[in-house]
Amino acid sequence: MTTFWPPMRLPERAATMAITKAIGSAQELEHWRQEIDARASADEITVMVCTGTACNAKGAGAVYGAMKKALEELPEGAAVQLKPTGCHGFCERGPIVVVAPSDICYHNVREEDVGEIVRETLLGGRPVERLLYKDASTGEALRSSSEIEFYNRQTRLVLRHNGSIDPGSIEDYIGVRGYVSLARVLTQMTPEQVIDEVERSGLRGRGGGGFPTGRKWRSCREAEGEPKYVICNGDEGDPGAFMDRSIMEANPQAVIEGMIIGAYAIGAHQGYIYVRNEYPLAVQRLADALEQARDYGLLGENILGSGFSFDIRINRGGGAFVCGESTALMASLEGRPGEPRAKYIHTVEVGLHGKPTNLNNVETWANIPLIVERGGEWFASIGTKGSKGTKVFSLVGKVQNTGLVEVPMGMTLREIVFEIGGGIPGGKEFKAVQTGGPSGGCIPAEFLDTPVDFDQLWEVGSIMGSGGLIVMDEDTCMVNVARYFTEFLKKESCGKCVPCREGLAQMERILARICEGEGQEGDVELLLDLCDVLDDAALCALGSTASNPVRSTIKHFRGEYDEHIRDRHCPAHDCRGLFRYEIAAETCTGCGACRPACPEDAISGERRKPHVIDQAKCIQCGACFEVCRFDSVAKV
Amino acid sequence: MAIRLTIDGHEVEAQEGQTVLEVAQAAGVWIPALCHHPAVSSYGACRLCLVEVKVRGRTRLVTSCCYPAREGLEVLTDTERVHRARRGVMRLLLARAPESRVLRALATSMGVTEPSLPTVTHGERDCILCGLCVNVCTEVMGAAAISFVNRGVDRVVAAPFLESSEACLGCGACAAVCPMGSVELRWEEAELEVVPFNNRRPAMRCRECGAPISGLPFAQQVQERLGEKLALAVSLCPDCKRKATALAAKKARPASDAWPHLRAGVREQ
Repeated sequence: MTTFWPPMRLPERAATMAITKAIGSAQELEHWRQEIDARASADEITVMVCTGTACNAKGAGAVYGAMKKALEELPEGAAVQLKPTGCHGFCERGPIVVVAPSDICYHNVREEDVGEIVRETLLGGRPVERLLYKDASTGEALRSSSEIEFYNRQTRLVLRHNGSIDPGSIEDYIGVRGYVSLARVLTQMTPEQVIDEVERSGLRGRGGGGFPTGRKWRSCREAEGEPKYVICNGDEGDPGAFMDRSIMEANPQAVIEGMIIGAYAIGAHQGYIYVRNEYPLAVQRLADALEQARDYGLLGENILGSGFSFDIRINRGGGAFVCGESTALMASLEGRPGEPRAKYIHTVEVGLHGKPTNLNNVETWANIPLIVERGGEWFASIGTKGSKGTKVFSLVGKVQNTGLVEVPMGMTLREIVFEIGGGIPGGKEFKAVQTGGPSGGCIPAEFLDTPVDFDQLWEVGSIMGSGGLIVMDEDTCMVNVARYFTEFLKKESCGKCVPCREGLAQMERILARICEGEGQEGDVELLLDLCDVLDDAALCALGSTASNPVRSTIKHFRGEYDEHIRDRHCPAHDCRGLFRYEIAAETCTGCGACRPACPEDAISGERRKPHVIDQAKCIQCGACFEVCRFDSVAKV
Repeated sequence: MAIRLTIDGHEVEAQEGQTVLEVAQAAGVWIPALCHHPAVSSYGACRLCLVEVKVRGRTRLVTSCCYPAREGLEVLTDTERVHRARRGVMRLLLARAPESRVLRALATSMGVTEPSLPTVTHGERDCILCGLCVNVCTEVMGAAAISFVNRGVDRVVAAPFLESSEACLGCGACAAVCPMGSVELRWEEAELEVVPFNNRRPAMRCRECGAPISGLPFAQQVQERLGEKLALAVSLCPDCKRKATALAAKKARPASDAWPHLRAGVREQ
């Protein structure tokens, strides 16, 4: 398999680390864990560099490389350990470097900063001020993540080890009590007891369906047919969603442990992790994690000497959003084209290869070890009546602090967007938050106090989905948002059923016309009619939820549609050609920067006198708007 | 094992393993369906066969071709919701293949009166991607010479790499099951072409009169399975086979001994 970049494994330390044979019992595992604990010194400094995909895209690879080199050149006896970690979540501020035990958190670290960090912090014990997080209102520099609102308002359970363990080291995972739950399950619990615990927790699927996990496991256990399978759905396809990616990259062992526990409960001996191929780092991390788990006797034959055997295979997706749908995923796993089938007979009865199959999302599996360790009752004490536990969201869009957040179910959208998210940048006005990806609706300001909860989000016309939270402001055209998601779904439709294939094509065309100024009276009504057909007649959830972005934007932002159609004007000044650029004479300094920028020679004016755009020539490219340093080009 | 359910309030009996569509059709209830054929397993693509089912107090729209008949199921085929949904689907089909007589006739019997939608997708020769040709070729004929290619609005039925497939038997099952008349067997002197899949196969014609029978690979497959004695029968067209059978019967029994009761009937007249 092609590796995306050089493997980030730490060099082996002392010979005592080498594992000679698989761990053969729960006691041996505990013994091993204590050894790992004992090795960790309280005084030893650890530098943790986030090498998640987002930080990597911003140069974390170079930061890590420079840090590694710098540490190698340190004098003998300097006890500093370097660890690559997975996603901390504060992706807006990456690359992130955390120094323990002083818990200093550096943001926006570049390769050039490494030398200073080593000198000042590692050797000198002083923080580098300019790399610390600055509080948005007070300007105060905050040292540790526990002081930063983005972090301290979260309840990080599933993500608790993100950023502090090396995802390439199973020992790190064992060191933080990894596989303790599995050991307990295999030695002290029956499969029924495991299912009882999961049912007690009230855990509902985190992939979007929100189906009670315990009930699903029970149905699969009771279904007739052998062999049974468990599948992890890592096909995360919603645009803007990266919760599962971060979990797979930062803590793959948690997912694996969850799957082994689930397989034991259900009676399966073969599992699959279906990862989208567009996540090469996640694929690599998972593959390495599986290999290590096998080496340690935590996967494969006779796990921990319990007599239970189970193994996992990774399958990569071929690049189709529809393969995130469970029956399409299973078709793909079988080597057939990824298209769904009717689910009147559930996949827990007839699934992969026609056998009982339990499919769960990455985040759902990652919750399992925690539920087993702390108990279903504890899990159920978090969240709301209908939605227990926490949920990981990817907070993106027009928001100050973009990144990954984990909050208890029941926290309001307002708190997530404004307290954790830091509100809308640039002093702009909040307009809507879109939840649940292309299957979700846009929620306007009046519903900001809606708690994140499966049922309550449904009531305001959206869905929880897999956790995408896209924040929109006054500059976002809601008709274009509907068009964007409809176009996405049209391209991703498998094409099997008429309503989705034909209906989305019709809807996309109408929305495109409206955004191009060719809207007609009756278009909105026709869109709603088509939404009805999809709702009623589509074969799978891709088609049957496709109406949500369209319906919710029509419901809450009908005025924008009307203005597009009747006035051929986009009130958000987003749809090209449906608004004008005008130079404000009062503020224009006549610097002339806009004139050469204009490809159509549409701007005229003398030096130091207000310039003017000839609307007849203007093609609304926006170059003058980009170039003006005096904010004198207005969108009208 | 017999099970009982109701369709539009009437109690009907069904067998375990039947679909609601099968039960309804047997009971004389008309449900439109384009992608369904008794010889091929249900696919659920056209969505015309929608009915409402009531389970545990909840009603939902389901495709009757795929929904298993269950004890106590309440099926409603004649509600406003059912008709509105079916008409919506038909409108979308008509937009794709507005010239199709099959669709227009079906639309009339379904009572579609809404204005037509613009054509935004195109199907080769009115193809609506029902999947019957693909499924009959794979499941029934075991050839799998054609399949769906591409995704979404770009989906088409084609042979691998859009080239003539040697797996094609030239049996014509695809043409036989196509509800739209999109698939056609075009006969040339020594070859037949399966339109529009580009599959060209050697043709077998009647050894007596030269009328087209089927693709040669298919005929050979049948002959192999029938064995020597019956193999010859496959190479005659229906007309010539009839003539040959009559001739053989005549030779086997002289006219005076054959079918006395019929001869008696003739005399009496």
